Amino acid sequence: MVTAPSPRFRPIPWQEWRQRYAPQVIPPVVGIVGFLLVWQVLSVTGITRLPAPSALLTDENTRNLLLNPFFDRGGLDKGLFWQTMASLTRVVKGYLGAAVVGISLGILVGVNPIVNQALDPLFQFLRMIAPLAWVPITLIALPNVQTAAIFVIFITAVWPILINTAVGVQQIPQDYKNVAMVLQISPRKYFFKILLPAALPYIFTGLRIAIGLAWLAIIAAEIVMSGVVGIGFFIWDAYQQNYVSEVILAVIYIGAVGLILDRLVAWAQRLIVPQQ
Amino acid sequence: MTVLVAVEQVEKRFPLGGGNFYLALQDINLEIRQGEFVSFIGHSGCGKSTLLNLIAGLDRPTQGQVWVGGQPVQRPGPDRMVVFQNYSLLPWLTVWENVSLAVEEVLGHLSPAERRQVVQWHLDLVGLTAAKHKYPAQLSGGMKQRVAIARALAIRPEVLLLDEPFGALDALTRGHLQEQLLRICEEHQVTTVMVTHDVDEAVFLSDRIVMLTNGPGAQIGQILTVDIPRPRRRMEVVKHPSYYSLRSEVIYFLNQQKRIKNMRARSAKAIARHGLEKVNLEIGFVPLTACAPLAVAKEKGLFAKHGLDEVHLVRETSWRGIVDGLVGGYLDAAQTPAGLPVWLTLGGHQERPLPVVTSLTLTRNGNAITLARRFYDQGIHDAQSLRAYLHRQATPHILGMVHPASMHNLLLRYWLAAHGIDPDRDVQLRTIPPAQMVADLKAGTIDGYCVGEPWNLRAALEGIGFTVATDQELWLDHPGKVLGVREDWAMRYPNTHIALVKALLEACHYCAQPQHHEEIRHLLARREYLGTDVRYIQLGEPGKLTCDLHQPEYAHHRFYGEGLNRPSRTEHLWIMTQLARWGEVPFPRNWLEILERVCRVDTFTIAAREVGLLGTTQTSRSPIRLFDGSEFTSNQDPIDYLNHLAIKRDFSVAEIVLERPQVALS
Repeated sequence: MVTAPSPRFRPIPWQEWRQRYAPQVIPPVVGIVGFLLVWQVLSVTGITRLPAPSALLTDENTRNLLLNPFFDRGGLDKGLFWQTMASLTRVVKGYLGAAVVGISLGILVGVNPIVNQALDPLFQFLRMIAPLAWVPITLIALPNVQTAAIFVIFITAVWPILINTAVGVQQIPQDYKNVAMVLQISPRKYFFKILLPAALPYIFTGLRIAIGLAWLAIIAAEIVMSGVVGIGFFIWDAYQQNYVSEVILAVIYIGAVGLILDRLVAWAQRLIVPQQ
Repeated sequence: MTVLVAVEQVEKRFPLGGGNFYLALQDINLEIRQGEFVSFIGHSGCGKSTLLNLIAGLDRPTQGQVWVGGQPVQRPGPDRMVVFQNYSLLPWLTVWENVSLAVEEVLGHLSPAERRQVVQWHLDLVGLTAAKHKYPAQLSGGMKQRVAIARALAIRPEVLLLDEPFGALDALTRGHLQEQLLRICEEHQVTTVMVTHDVDEAVFLSDRIVMLTNGPGAQIGQILTVDIPRPRRRMEVVKHPSYYSLRSEVIYFLNQQKRIKNMRARSAKAIARHGLEKVNLEIGFVPLTACAPLAVAKEKGLFAKHGLDEVHLVRETSWRGIVDGLVGGYLDAAQTPAGLPVWLTLGGHQERPLPVVTSLTLTRNGNAITLARRFYDQGIHDAQSLRAYLHRQATPHILGMVHPASMHNLLLRYWLAAHGIDPDRDVQLRTIPPAQMVADLKAGTIDGYCVGEPWNLRAALEGIGFTVATDQELWLDHPGKVLGVREDWAMRYPNTHIALVKALLEACHYCAQPQHHEEIRHLLARREYLGTDVRYIQLGEPGKLTCDLHQPEYAHHRFYGEGLNRPSRTEHLWIMTQLARWGEVPFPRNWLEILERVCRVDTFTIAAREVGLLGTTQTSRSPIRLFDGSEFTSNQDPIDYLNHLAIKRDFSVAEIVLERPQVALS
């Protein structure tokens, strides 16, 4: 019997590291650096009024915000971390609501063709209304700005979840349904053992689309609903006071958070959806 | 055995939208007994899976009812577990969980420990215990199907329904799984219905094979009983004498379905030329020495000489192929046994009278009765000693003949009955294609046969049988093969019909001349005709010896001569009495009308006159003389004649109503 050689720790020589990772790392780095350079040049030469990327560090206000995201001076004057957290909290609330309602309604619609026929036009109609268009209605309909913001998140995120879930349920292979029919599986077991696992990939597709949309919507909503703590309002406020470099900083925050949220849902998907 | 599944008068239509529908199945009646293994076979799209789904309850019939265990099938249930072609395992559950899910649902009354035992036992059964924690994606196709079978068996269904279970597997795995399934079904007496398109699989596994015709409106075309004993082992099954005849039966059926489909698609268009209504003819024949006139007419250009320049000879291996060809309309004409026109006209085929006419007797004689060599060795050289021998035996002996309506059947029966042997009680007669007789005699599945040459001579030359009686010992110059066409065909193409008779009559004349015999023997030995050794094909005058293995004699053909080719009403009347005698068809009260319509003497006379072979038109007034000294004449009362025969079945007399012949307007 041949024994496998025991793995020994061996530092990867620089040469080898370069060979292995360089092709993946160098192009994006070059791309980003190049982009920043062009930007810098454009700003320095005065072609655009936009501050250069270096302003993030050179501008004192912005540097403070960047280096100290955790301060809290009460009211709306909070560090970027808190601003982002406030927005995120809203997103989570609205998004969870959307997930619960979207998945349940989606399953109902997917299982029952009559309900599907009854509700489909309504859904398609409501789906087409832009998140911002909901803002005035919600501000009138709901008691305060906080709830209105959450509702806007909800209404934006619910459609992709709902529609994907419904499709997922409708797409359950006839074979599985036949097996369930022949075995006369109880409805509860059918739901958990067949319907849910079969529809899960579709549901997660919906969830991933929805998280992106929800994050997009919250920024827009906060800009419109002034006077709430949140990264959207922060941008608006900075713009009003002409702190352009702060706007850029916030934008970087927004992009980063969006990326993380998407990765998070993808990770959950890998965790939950059965590997086939 | 009790009937477990009953399908009664089932019809299934699928709506196509716009008020249209597709008729998938119609008029399906089937009973499946407890413990039986039944296969459905047919071409794709024939509705065999639909029928399975109807039994499973996954689909409901538009009309009729399916019963399982005395209960009408309303919806699917675990008593009718299905194994689907694509396995239908849940990919997110392991092997164990897949089986366990079914067991928990269906055998909920058992304790968890017992359920685990059931799951384990069935995984052992299909040999998958080692893979029980794997997911379906990690298994091969064969393993997946084994899991599906284990899942199906674990819930102890009353009927196991398999929908092309091995269709997607490679040949090696398929064979292995078939054996496993066979073993399981035999050991546990599972009632099984399987849909398949694999002929070998069907024969290997089934007790009965249900063959479905092509859709739309598919019906059960035929049900074949597989009489191979169980337990079966593949090598033993393959060597079983019935195996190849069963297999060829199924393949014949499937090919026939394909041909009908092609025929429908082609809609053979008549090509009119040279003043003839149709010159493109499909003429059927069975490879026998008696097919010489057709071969000669084709090879010597006699068809073309009479304007039929697109004649295609269709080689059928059995008379059934000829019958199906005439009935299905894809043969224009055929060489048929002498009794076939009367038999078809009287409704011998599926009890539907189909008027078929004959206007030419192609050959006379050429038939003989052969017995296996062991009879000869035991000193049985004639019918008397055969009778004495048969009466000593407990098990009935089997004799082969080629078709119920052939002269072989009628002469063999007459010969047996004349010697006091009841052809249905003292022996069994079995229909076997001519070319297969020698093989069956060799294999010992039959004890003798009555068939046309060269198969008697061949058995004698190969030393496996001996000729116990030829034409001379039966009925000298009896009609052998005649030209048969459908009456509606003859009405539609009257000039073509005459041209055909002219060509063949000339060919008969050619065959009868001794200087051509060598040429014809070599012609017939060719692959497209008999495809056999030329020494088995003999023409001309035979020797006078009988019952001598060292000096084999052969039945001699007569192709042409005075009064030999003209269709004879007396002969066809005799055939009618014999067919009625053995219960093949009722005796027609309107026999005179039937004879008038079957024997087209007018066509023959015109043809004979036009080719200048007038000598043949004379009517032979002499009565039929058979070997037992009895005579049969046309002015005899046939029913009285029938009543005076000693051995016969309970024959019936009935008015056979034929539609008036109609000329198609085209």
